Amino acid sequence: MLRSQRIEALYALLFLAPFLIHLGVFFVFAFARTLGFSFTDKTLIGQSYQIVGFANYVQLFQDPRFIAALTHSVSFMLIVTTLQTFLALSMAAILNQRLRGITFFRTVYYIPSVLSSAAVTVIAIWFFQKTGFLNTFVGWIGSVAPVLLAFLAIFVLAQALQVGWERMRGLPVTFTDPALATISLAVGLALTWLLAALGVVVPREAQPPEFTWLTNSDRFLGVPIPLWSIIMLNTFTTIPTLMLIFLAGLQDIPKSIYEAAAIDGASPLQQFFSVTVPMLRPVTFLVITLSLIGTLQMFDQVALMGDAAPLDSIIVLAYYVYNNVFSGEGRVGLASAAAIILAALTFAIVLLQRALGISEKAH
Amino acid sequence: MKRRWIVGLALVALGAASAQTVVRLQGFGGNDTAIISSLVREVVNPALLKDNIRAEYQGVEGDYRAALLNALSAGTAADLFYVDIFWSEPLFASGRVEPLNRYFTQQELSVFNRNLLNAFTLRGNVYGLPKDFNTLAVQFNRDLFDEAKVPYPNQTDTWDTFKDKLKRVQAAVKDVAGLCVVADHARFGAFAYATGWRPFNAQGRTVLDANFRRAFEWYTSLVKDGAGKYAQDLGEGWTGGCFGAERAAVAIEGAWIGGFLRDKAPNMRFGTTLIPLDPITKQRGNFIFTVSWSMNAASRNKDAAAKVLRALTSPEAQNWILSRGLALPSRSALANSPIFQRPGKENELNRVVFQGSTNVGGAVLPFKFGSLDGGEWMRPINEALLAVITGKKSVDQALADAQAELNRLVR
Repeated sequence: MLRSQRIEALYALLFLAPFLIHLGVFFVFAFARTLGFSFTDKTLIGQSYQIVGFANYVQLFQDPRFIAALTHSVSFMLIVTTLQTFLALSMAAILNQRLRGITFFRTVYYIPSVLSSAAVTVIAIWFFQKTGFLNTFVGWIGSVAPVLLAFLAIFVLAQALQVGWERMRGLPVTFTDPALATISLAVGLALTWLLAALGVVVPREAQPPEFTWLTNSDRFLGVPIPLWSIIMLNTFTTIPTLMLIFLAGLQDIPKSIYEAAAIDGASPLQQFFSVTVPMLRPVTFLVITLSLIGTLQMFDQVALMGDAAPLDSIIVLAYYVYNNVFSGEGRVGLASAAAIILAALTFAIVLLQRALGISEKAH
Repeated sequence: MKRRWIVGLALVALGAASAQTVVRLQGFGGNDTAIISSLVREVVNPALLKDNIRAEYQGVEGDYRAALLNALSAGTAADLFYVDIFWSEPLFASGRVEPLNRYFTQQELSVFNRNLLNAFTLRGNVYGLPKDFNTLAVQFNRDLFDEAKVPYPNQTDTWDTFKDKLKRVQAAVKDVAGLCVVADHARFGAFAYATGWRPFNAQGRTVLDANFRRAFEWYTSLVKDGAGKYAQDLGEGWTGGCFGAERAAVAIEGAWIGGFLRDKAPNMRFGTTLIPLDPITKQRGNFIFTVSWSMNAASRNKDAAAKVLRALTSPEAQNWILSRGLALPSRSALANSPIFQRPGKENELNRVVFQGSTNVGGAVLPFKFGSLDGGEWMRPINEALLAVITGKKSVDQALADAQAELNRLVR
C-alpha cells in the first residue's frame, strides 16, 4: 500500500471513529454481553453467577407471562403495521393535492408526532377512562343523534331535489356539485334549527357507554381490550412520521406518468393503484421495515400505562425484559434471554418481509 | 506578609476540606429531597462537624428501586440508602447490604419500635434502621357527612355499620361516592388480616381460605351495594385522590395524605379514625409501611456512614421531622411526644396513624411478603379484586384463578 493510501485510510478511520466507537460500545459490546448473560443465572443484586446453558430459554417458554408477551407483541406488530401503513399512505395521497391552504393541514396532521410519548400516554389514560372523553363523546353523539340524522336527511333531500331540477333543465351536474351542496347545507341547517326550536326533533338524554377500556380483561379478536387502547394510541402517534416519508416519496413520482395514464383514460382510483402504489414500493419497504421494528420494540406506552391497566393484558416483549430486570432480585439472565429472542424475532421478521417480495426496487 | 498569611490560611482550609469524609445518602425524590436535605443541613451535619464528616443527600426521581438495584449492581450506590420494606428481603439476602449489628449495640437498637426493627431483621441481622413509618386509617370529610345527615365514622364501627354509613352518604349527596375503592391488596389486606387470615400459613404457603373470602366478599361488595365507586372509573388511582377532589366521603390512607390535602384541599374539614372492626372477630387489621436507612456493603466509609446513620435517626432528628408533621418517628419514646396531643386535623391524623401500629390497631403486619417481591405476590390478589369489582368474574372464579397463580408463585 502506498503511503498516501495509508494516510487516506487512517483519515477515513479517524472520521469514522466516533460512529464506530458508539456502535462498538452501545451495540456490539452490549449485544455480546446480553448474549453472554442469557446463558447464566445472573441477577442484578447477586454477587456471583453460574453458566446454566439454555435453561433460561427453556424457562421462558414455560412462563405463561412470556407467552402472553410474545403473542401480544406479534399481534401488536401485525395490527399496527397494517393500520399505520394503510392510513399513512391514504393521508399522504390526500395531502399531496395542490390545494389552497394544504400546508396548514400538513402541519396539523403532523402534530401528533411532535408530542412527547409520555404526555400523549397520560392524556390517553384520561381519554380511555370509563368517564373519560371517549365514552362521554360517544354518549353525546348518541344523545344528539336525532338532530344529526334529521340534518343529514334534510341535506340529502335538498341536494337530490336541486340536482334533479338542474338535470331536468338539461344541465350536466353531478350529485356532489359544490355550489348546490352549499345551498343544501344552508337549507339543512335552517330547517334543523327550526325543527329543534319547534320541539319536533330534540336531543335525547346522554347515556355514556359503560364500557371500560383500560381495566377490561375481555378480548376482541384475541387481543385484550387494554392492548387495543395502546394500538389506537400508537397508531395515532406514529402515522404522521410515516405519512411524511410517503409524502416525500409521492413528490418524487414524475407528473408525466400520471398525465400519460390520464390520457389513456385511467380514473384517479386506477391511477392510485397502478401508478402510485407500484412507484412507491421502495418507500413502502422503508415504512414497513421501520414500522415492524418500531412496533416489536414498543415499550414506553406500556410502561407509562403502569397500573392503569392490568399488566398481563398489556405486557409486550420489551416490557417483559424490563420488568424482569427490575423486579424481585433482578433476573438479568432470564431477561437477557428474552431480549435475545426479541432481537432474533425482529431480525427474522424483517428477513421474511424481504423474502415475501415487498422489495426495495420500484417496478 | 499579609498575602502570605492569606495563602497559608487558604492552604490549611483546603487541607481540612480535603480531609473531610463525605458520606453520600440516596433516597426518594420529590418532597424527600427537600426534607432530608434540610434535615442534613440543620441537624445531621452540625452534629458531625467534630468528626469532620459531611453528609450529602441525593433524591432519585422516578423509579427508585430500579435506580438503586442498578447502582448496587454497578458499584455506584451511595453509602447509605433507603430500602422500602416492600422489596427489602431479596435485597438483604443478596449480601449487598451491610448488617448493622457490628456498628450498633443492642441497647442502641432497642430504642426503636420493636415491630419496625423486626421488619428489617433477617436471620438475626439488622439490615436497616427504620427511618419512619405509616399505617392506614380512615379519613372522612365532615362537611359531606353533615350534608348527608349521617354520623361520622368512629372507632367502634364494624364493617357493616361503616358500609351502611357510606351507602347513606353516597345516596344523599349527588356525585359523591362513599369510598373510592381500589383493587389493591395494600388497602384490602388490612381487612383480610382482621379476620385472622395471614399471607402465609404455617407451611409457608398462601391459602385463600374462608376468612380471606369473607373479607374479599365484603370489600368487593362496596361498589355493587352503592357504598363506593371504583376509583379508576372516577379517573383516580388512589382513595386519597377522590377524597381530595371531594368526590368521595372517606379515604383509607396513611399520614402521607396530610401533605397532599394541605395542597389539594387546604380548607377541607376532615377527621381521622381507626380502620373498622371485623363484625365476627371484633378485630381490626393494619399494615406497617416503612422505609429503612441501610448501609452499602461495598461502602468505603462504613464507620463514617454509621455515624451519619446514628445522627439521622437520633432523637433530635426525629423530633425535627415530627414537629414539622412530616413523618412518624420510629423511636418508641417519641410515642408520648406532646406533639401528638396538639389539636388540629393533621395532628389527629398523625395520632390515629401512630395508634394504628399499637395494640389498638389489632393485627398489624409489615407491608412485606416473605422472601418474595411484594409486587409479584400481590398481583394475583389485585387482579382478582379488579375482576370482581368490575364484574368480569364471579368471586368463586376470581379466587380460584388467584389461588392457582399463587400456588405457582409461592413454592
